[in-house]
Amino acid sequence: MNSADEPVFIGHPTDAALTDQILDPVWAPKSRAWMPAFVFTGLGSLGLFALVFWTFWTGIGLWGSSIPVAWAFAITSFVWWIGIGHAGTFISAILLLFEQRWRTSINRFAEAMTLFAVVQAGIYPLIHLGRPWFFYWLAPYPATMKVWPNFKSALPWDMAAVSTYLMVSVLFWYMGLVPDLATARDRAPSRLRRTLYGIFALGWRGSARHQRHYRMAYGLLAGLATPLVLSVHSIVSCDFAITILPGWHSTIFPPYFVAGAIFSGFCMVVTLMVPIRRLYGLQNVITLKHLDNVCKMILATGLIVGYSYFCEFYLAYYSGDIYEQGTMFHSLTQATNSWTFWYTIFTNVVLVQAFWFRSVRQSPIIAFILTLFINAGMWTERFSLIVLSQQRDFLTSSWHAYHPTFVDWGILFGTLCFFAFLFLVFLRCVPFIALTELKELNRKMAKEAT
Amino acid sequence: MRAGVAAEFETADALLHAVKGMREAGYDDLDAFTPYPIEGLDEALALRRSPLNWIVFPLGMSAAAAAFGLMWFCNAYSYPINVGGRPGFAIPAFVPITFETAVLASSLIAFVLLWALCRLPALTHPLFGVEGFDRASLDRFWLVVGTRDVKLLLEYTPKDLEKLGALRVTSFGDVSNGHISP
Amino acid sequence: MSADEDGRVSNDNGLVRLRRPSPEVASPWRSLDERDQTATYLASIGDDLGEATEPPSATSRRTFLQFLGASMSLAGLDGCARKQPAQILPYSITPDGAIPGVPREYATAMTLDGFATGLLVRSSEGRPTKVEGNPDHPTSRGKTTLLQQASLLQLYDPDRMRGVENRGRPSSWEALLALLCKDRSDAGAGLRILAEPTASPTFQRLLGLVASRHPGSKNTFWSAMPVLANTLAGAQLALGKRLQPRLDFARADVILTLDADFLTSMEDQLVYSRDWAARRRVASPGQAMSRLYTVECALSPTGTMADHRLARRSAEILQVARAIAAQLPTIAPELRGAVELDPAAARFAAAVARDLARCAPGSSLVVVGERQPPWLHALGWAMNAALGNLRTTAQAEDPVLLEGSQDLPALVHDMQAGAVDTLIILDGNPVYSTPPELGLEAAMDQVRERIYCADYHNETASRCTWVAPRAHYLESWGDGRAYDGTVSIVQPLIEALHGARPPIELLGALAGLSAPHAHALVRATHPASDWDAALQRGVVNDTTSPLVAITFGGAAAIAAALGTTIAPSPHVLELDFYLSPTVHDGRFTNNPWLLEQPEPTTKLTWENAALVAPALAKRLGLANEDVVELVCNGRALSVPVFISPGQADDAVALWLGYGRSGAESIASKRGVNAASLRTRSTLAFAPDARLRKLGLAQSLASMQTQRTMLGRPIALASTKAGYEANPGFTSEHKGEVASLMKPVPFEGLQWAMSIDLGLCTGCSSCMVACQAENNIPVVGKAEVEKNREMHWLRIDTYFTGEVDNPGVIHQPMMCQHCETAPCEYVCPVNATVHSPDGLNEMVYNRCVGTRFCSNNCPYKVRRFNWFDWNKRVAANQGSYQLAHNPEVTVRERGVMEKCSYCVQRIRGAEITAQIAHRMLAPGEVRSACQQACPTGAIEFGSLSHVESTMVKWRQEPRSYAVLNDQGTRPRTMYLARIDNPNPELA
Repeated sequence: MNSADEPVFIGHPTDAALTDQILDPVWAPKSRAWMPAFVFTGLGSLGLFALVFWTFWTGIGLWGSSIPVAWAFAITSFVWWIGIGHAGTFISAILLLFEQRWRTSINRFAEAMTLFAVVQAGIYPLIHLGRPWFFYWLAPYPATMKVWPNFKSALPWDMAAVSTYLMVSVLFWYMGLVPDLATARDRAPSRLRRTLYGIFALGWRGSARHQRHYRMAYGLLAGLATPLVLSVHSIVSCDFAITILPGWHSTIFPPYFVAGAIFSGFCMVVTLMVPIRRLYGLQNVITLKHLDNVCKMILATGLIVGYSYFCEFYLAYYSGDIYEQGTMFHSLTQATNSWTFWYTIFTNVVLVQAFWFRSVRQSPIIAFILTLFINAGMWTERFSLIVLSQQRDFLTSSWHAYHPTFVDWGILFGTLCFFAFLFLVFLRCVPFIALTELKELNRKMAKEAT
Repeated sequence: MRAGVAAEFETADALLHAVKGMREAGYDDLDAFTPYPIEGLDEALALRRSPLNWIVFPLGMSAAAAAFGLMWFCNAYSYPINVGGRPGFAIPAFVPITFETAVLASSLIAFVLLWALCRLPALTHPLFGVEGFDRASLDRFWLVVGTRDVKLLLEYTPKDLEKLGALRVTSFGDVSNGHISP
Repeated sequence: MSADEDGRVSNDNGLVRLRRPSPEVASPWRSLDERDQTATYLASIGDDLGEATEPPSATSRRTFLQFLGASMSLAGLDGCARKQPAQILPYSITPDGAIPGVPREYATAMTLDGFATGLLVRSSEGRPTKVEGNPDHPTSRGKTTLLQQASLLQLYDPDRMRGVENRGRPSSWEALLALLCKDRSDAGAGLRILAEPTASPTFQRLLGLVASRHPGSKNTFWSAMPVLANTLAGAQLALGKRLQPRLDFARADVILTLDADFLTSMEDQLVYSRDWAARRRVASPGQAMSRLYTVECALSPTGTMADHRLARRSAEILQVARAIAAQLPTIAPELRGAVELDPAAARFAAAVARDLARCAPGSSLVVVGERQPPWLHALGWAMNAALGNLRTTAQAEDPVLLEGSQDLPALVHDMQAGAVDTLIILDGNPVYSTPPELGLEAAMDQVRERIYCADYHNETASRCTWVAPRAHYLESWGDGRAYDGTVSIVQPLIEALHGARPPIELLGALAGLSAPHAHALVRATHPASDWDAALQRGVVNDTTSPLVAITFGGAAAIAAALGTTIAPSPHVLELDFYLSPTVHDGRFTNNPWLLEQPEPTTKLTWENAALVAPALAKRLGLANEDVVELVCNGRALSVPVFISPGQADDAVALWLGYGRSGAESIASKRGVNAASLRTRSTLAFAPDARLRKLGLAQSLASMQTQRTMLGRPIALASTKAGYEANPGFTSEHKGEVASLMKPVPFEGLQWAMSIDLGLCTGCSSCMVACQAENNIPVVGKAEVEKNREMHWLRIDTYFTGEVDNPGVIHQPMMCQHCETAPCEYVCPVNATVHSPDGLNEMVYNRCVGTRFCSNNCPYKVRRFNWFDWNKRVAANQGSYQLAHNPEVTVRERGVMEKCSYCVQRIRGAEITAQIAHRMLAPGEVRSACQQACPTGAIEFGSLSHVESTMVKWRQEPRSYAVLNDQGTRPRTMYLARIDNPNPELA
């Protein structure tokens, strides 16, 4: 089973040494790249807010959307970000239930990634409304005229799923953070930091009596988060699957979307993990074993995604439905913007096969570059699925090619910056590796060694 | 426990050994403070399993039921209307939100309940005053005998602990009612 | 409408309307200046109403006086009207019997190209808000063209001329009329009148008076495209008399049109459309229907309805006609003799000739278009004579239009010679529309006083010394004659917005009347007639011109004329000029509704383009939007190309009416001025044009980019024979679709629509009617290119068959009001739901704009307010808003909208019925599109009225539902189009 010779943890440092290694980056920036990156992404985020405000002010006509392509960049990016958000919880919850040791070193920042990705995703559904100031009409608030939401629509499901996902991810993440915050409190160099961490640590003392409740609660959340992960993207996929639009109207969407989500999420994990590992010299904590396992996950989910593509085409062919076939065999493959589809096939079906080779899985650089391509590939997948299907639907008279505006691009770029911005802040504020769990693991492995 | 005698140990194994020793010596109001969970510690301390899950489950389920009921009320009872010729009481369509609500409610309840059971947040605690206790979150392992322990004797208990390999022993909090020798 | 305790009544647009003040109750004020205003209203109205408030004698008189009261009461307000048109909205005093909020209809008439069409115009609180046809009028029969529908918006155009100006400085009507009224020493030798073609009796009477006062004066009639000139000349040639044809399509089994678009661009098109449709509706398999052959150059709506269509350069059509005529057995011997044609044309000609000959005498019809030379018209008479149609389908009557005493070239010559000191131009825009070679513009400098009465500060106005605003037909008295001679009185619905006056008042002054008033002038023209009845019915009784007995006797003359003609040499590029189907000759080019109206065959909006056949484009390597340089008659023009299937090879078609350079804000710089390439002899088409690709591109906004159905069952069609052989050919496209859900039961009135594709000519009258009825905003060219147009009703036009000579089918597409609407269940906020009477309702107030409904609408008929169009687009703002229908909400930014089956009309009718304690009668509710449709292709009503036409139609075998297999259960059903091709040519 263990294709890598490397263990998931190298050496047996003392608890103190290990603690200092993990906490150092929090006390002082270890990389010169941090500040410029911080400033750049900060400005990018401001740009995002500016564009969002402009859209609120004048209307979404600023985007390239039209009839028939009423949903375009916003929904594409929404689905993409949500997808990325899936790896974090998958790693921390599901791998926890399966008692996978390689989870320990990466779950903390994977969860943070999830959080920030979901934040980006959360921006889109709101700003893409025609009248965003009425967003709360999707919730059953006590309306005087008894106008309730329509729960047959997938959008209220969506709102429930995404907000639940965000909430549970925050709780899960914070709960796991508390003991580490306590450590940070006790190691804090300055009184101010000591106080701050003290407050967020809630006075955690590591009491054995507390820990039995703690383990129970944490396990419980893991148990809840596991089906949640699978449900969220299934529900998101229903935004499309419940319609009658050829290319959207498909029963395999839920599993297909979930696989794609975990696929893209793990790619993003690699994209973040490789630089962090290098910049913060964590080769002993985040080992090639981790990289190897994550890449295996990418390969596995990638194959599911590829299989889903095949199913889509086969079903279109087998159904004999001319509209379905029109979408699959023409609109998707040979219309305006069809390059996105072909790029998707290239990355998600062809490129991903590289992960069959251990040499690729265990080479940080190659894996990093590959995942960059695949991240883009997952975006184009969502795009081709959402936009290309709309460009050409039933009546040929209403066909129309979609062209994004700079506002569309700007908002997409802005969310990328905002995501990176939040992540950079996270790196400097809290231990981005689950310290307590790591020490526990350290002891376990030391025992096994003897 | 707000007061008692605290002893510092170098390793987790020393702690475990000490806990066993103290239990044999008949102490029963014990608690351990460790930087990370130690296997076997609960058994050694004879701590009961946490009841948390049994409280969360019913609450989560009732939240789910409430969500389902709300959707029924909105679409089927309060204002039924012909929407695309579909029935107002559309059970399959109600499943996703019911499920999500169950998860959300359970998680929130579990989170709140955890801190309630732990009596946290409590930003101050007499133990924090104990010298060297800050390493309890780093690499030291503490064993504490609470004042509710009838065997707690300020003369003898520290000696018992030192016998079991404690690096140092200090009393904390208000131990005025700590038992004195006959 | 809500009245608060102090008796103030505020209406929808928040303006305050005062109740009729009674002496004891002091009227309340909202503000001081309003009180003053109202004071002035009362003062000014006091005497005006003297007449209106006297006890009414007869009901008819009563209605008229009420109207008079209304407009007069507005008269008191027009002081502020100029500053702020919105303020003329409220009545200051409600006229007798007018119920606030209940619109009233008045009969009037609109004159275009000289002929009047009777209309009924809806007035909401004193604002004309909708134009409908007058059922009592012989050439309207209750139907309208898109131009008549859109003429409403002309009234509210903020760019209209705002008052009399003399050499750029503000002047007054008094000054102008005084000038015209002055006696002349030269007996009018230097006086010229240049007017639009007209048949107005008052105009005629006044011209007579002018002639008697100024014997030396001359008058000229001019329009961008000649009206009936060639037709009358042809009649002269063939029948020995200048007569205008009176055609009867209802009695024609076989119709041959030679460059004649009788469905949408001939004078009597509404009558022709209705009669033609009567013979094309196939109620059951095997029913007889007429057959239509068309020979034309550019694809016209008539061409799209033809069973067989031959596309040839306009100059070649004569040859085809000669070939057909020569093969008619009964043709005059002079006209026999072989004509050489290309094989396709020869085959066509032979078949048509045989088919015509097969018909019973008098049951066929040959129609020739005005674009063709007189001898072809004469040849047409010859064929009709040979086929025995002269007493049945092709009869004649005396011309209705006034004849000028001088033609335009002569006028220009006089001007150049300095023989003219006063030129009075009544309407039209000659400087823009006359061929440059005439040199009218330059010649005008030789004239001392150039007086122009028109709508806009346009090209002509800039060359004149006096300009005076011409009154819109909805704001001035007048009269006119229909194509069949019937006289209609034009009665105003509103006081002139900008102090505009009708041209007849200028003529009155010329005739020596000191203070001519249109009302008096018109009244004096019709002393005998029952005035009030004429106003009520909209027609003056017994004024229809009688048929003239005709005999064909011009064979020799025709043969002689034909002898002089030479067939155009092959592969010489011909340039064809057409009146724009939407903006006509340029008078409507400032009308946002019409600019954004897709042209029926190309779906182009906002601009004109050089239309070329696919074959020609391929030969010259042209693609859509390539800019080319057109050289013709020594002048050049660069214009983008648009490929138009079905057009004749070697021909480039251009629409007139664009490329305006006047002061109109919307019209200016839209498209190119095709008129600048014309000469006197090539007004309709010019041979020997040259075309050069410039390597530039210019975007064109076409509303339908994919023009074929790609084999999808969208707009179904069959042939007469095919229908008889297999009546159930649409059966798989209707009926129940298996579903897990049990259908919702529907009781009572259930609204539905049936559309006969066999009758839809694509004329687009319904689209403008819908736009006017439902306050649909325009979005502008850039947004149309983004597919963001707002039309609730669109007409999809598909090409079938081979690209060079395609079949064409039009399909009106609007919300299908599906019983299991896909749009409804995906709306998260219940903003689109189903009403108990089967309407798919759109609740604007509830919509948050997720656009999920549009994604799930398989017909893509939903429209989204991407911006606040009414604030962002100038063409929806200011005085244009006065055209809004108060019964329909103006939609906010960010909400979805779509066809509502004119729900406001349904509810209105229901309320009326309820008040009268009766059930709603079949046919009582008519949707705007149904009411406007000239061929009656749209039927609307309730499924519960089983006897109604609408229900009967959908029970026909050829009825079907679009995308029925999607299980949407649409309420709108279509009737597959049935063509009647000639087996010989199949």
